[in-house]
Amino acid sequence: MRRGWLVACLILLGVFGTALFVSLDYSLSDSLGPGAGFFPFWLSVIGGALTVAIMVQVSRSPAPAGADLVSGSDRAAVMRSIALLVALGITAAALEPLGYRLTMLLFVPGVLLLLGVRSPIPVALCALAGSFGVFHVFYHWLKVPLPIGMLGI
Amino acid sequence: MDTLQHLMTGLAAAMSLQNLAFALIGCTLGTLIGVLPGLGPAAGTAILIPLTFKLDPTGALIMLSAIYYGAMYGGTITSVLINVPGEAASVVTCFDGHAMAKQGRGGTALGIAAIGSFIGGIFATLALIVVAPPLARFALSFGPPEFFALMLVGLCLVTGLAGQSLLAGLTMAVLGLLIAMVGIDPVRGAPRFTFGIPSLYDGVGFIPVVMGLFGVSEILLTVEKPYREVIKTNLASLLPSREEWRRSVGAIGRGTGIGFLLGLIPGVGAIIPTFIAYILEKRLSKTPERFGHGAIEGVAAPETANNAYANASMIPLLTLGIPSSPTIAVLMGAFIVNGLTPGPFLFKERPDLVWAVIASFLLGNVLLLIINLPLVGLWARLLRLPYQYVCVGTLLFCVIGAYSLQQNVFDIGVMIVCGVIGYGMRKIEMPIAPLVLGLILGPFLEKSLRTSLEMSGGDFTIFLTRPLCLGLLVVAGIVLIGSALRWAPAEVREASD
Repeated sequence: MRRGWLVACLILLGVFGTALFVSLDYSLSDSLGPGAGFFPFWLSVIGGALTVAIMVQVSRSPAPAGADLVSGSDRAAVMRSIALLVALGITAAALEPLGYRLTMLLFVPGVLLLLGVRSPIPVALCALAGSFGVFHVFYHWLKVPLPIGMLGI
Repeated sequence: MDTLQHLMTGLAAAMSLQNLAFALIGCTLGTLIGVLPGLGPAAGTAILIPLTFKLDPTGALIMLSAIYYGAMYGGTITSVLINVPGEAASVVTCFDGHAMAKQGRGGTALGIAAIGSFIGGIFATLALIVVAPPLARFALSFGPPEFFALMLVGLCLVTGLAGQSLLAGLTMAVLGLLIAMVGIDPVRGAPRFTFGIPSLYDGVGFIPVVMGLFGVSEILLTVEKPYREVIKTNLASLLPSREEWRRSVGAIGRGTGIGFLLGLIPGVGAIIPTFIAYILEKRLSKTPERFGHGAIEGVAAPETANNAYANASMIPLLTLGIPSSPTIAVLMGAFIVNGLTPGPFLFKERPDLVWAVIASFLLGNVLLLIINLPLVGLWARLLRLPYQYVCVGTLLFCVIGAYSLQQNVFDIGVMIVCGVIGYGMRKIEMPIAPLVLGLILGPFLEKSLRTSLEMSGGDFTIFLTRPLCLGLLVVAGIVLIGSALRWAPAEVREASD
């Protein structure tokens, strides 16, 4: 967990540093009082200082033995999580060109198979319900606009 | 008299067939969320926001509020039957609720939890009706400096009381405030941190962020969780025996008081009232050794406190515009999506809406009791639903919710990124609540600060020369110092955990 905190702190320092640098492009004050850069500038400074304080605190504490080791089962779970995120990314990219129904007709069975569901009938039923069923409920009943792709589906 | 009149108007609106249906759907969906593995109230409320996009604001808020307190009750079922709290507030219920289930008294545990939740919820809502109007009237006298100080107090309370680490909580609050700066500057109208991306001109959407932080990250964590066993218990007998009633009455009364009082303080979180209610009952009991082995007071007190807290925590939101917890922050986001800003002005400008929502709490608690007692067997069966189907359903709702608010695929990307961030934060136990609160309060906080400084010509002493503002800043300082003294050793311990 200690390494995780240190990595998180480094990322936070990067974010606050970038924000500090960018906020210098905006005016800190103008004729009416504080400018557009005032709040982000001081937030970046405070955030950076707090992050450094966490880093000091974490790095001064003793590391527990055996920490930061990823077990075999953890690795499998991490791979499943990464695959889920990739599936979500592909879904986002395909949503407008293919439309909601076609995208979800591929996404739902894909995720179910990824998570270990092998029975074809439940997978097919879920795919139909998640794509055409959900589209019908949201688009026609709840009037929530969902994308229709270039194939008109 | 004015309050009574508003309440009657609100009750009439809430009792319309349409709004009753919304409350019923909300309670059912909320309980479902609480029951289903891997979904907490914050994630559940967030992913169901798209259901309400095209509803009128009153119906939408009635439904989302019902989802919130429905989810708070749904967590009890998992605590009792599988010893896994559906949400943090139900942790304490596991101690005696699961022990009761193992003794074949699961039905009685769920029954007393539903009855206690009902009583706690009704009393807290009645107290809300009494407390909220004068508090809102008082808050109307606040100027920008007072609102700035008040929001600072809210942020400090949530950061200081809710998290394990004060430094991490403060850092996350600052990060949330900074993310809220993305978009058009609210005072000058110039773009900030948009990096030439048109989708960022409207800022980083609150809904995709909370869906990512709570919904997607919970799914990623659920994928790692092992299989859990649902124990078989007697669910036929839901009503407690005469002796169990005798033991529960005092516990329910005390739980109501504790839950309500702590619900008024932003940042306390639902887990603290439940623990205090449990510990108090154990201390007051002549047979404390029964606790942890199926004492009915050990279920009645925390469950009552939990629901009283859930209803009372709407008071800071509705009267002051301060969200007490991440789930309340999600509800505040839903208000904003509907073009409404919670706070004292809402009481003044939209009393019809506020009172309809408050009146719906009364009806919602009745509906919750009606759907929970007879349907407890159904909820228990739903616990056996394989997690894979829950994951797919949740991801579907997340994609729809992130996309449909602005019909922008970019928001799905924001949700995925926030999902990864939320997953990482949960893995290292970095607090998420302050980030969410910072994000939602950011624009209001900045506007109040800048308007205050414009009023004073850039002179910061404006915050020190107004007595109420000064008082609030002192409270914020005390909260932070108190939290620092309390958490300093824990931070070191946690880092080396």
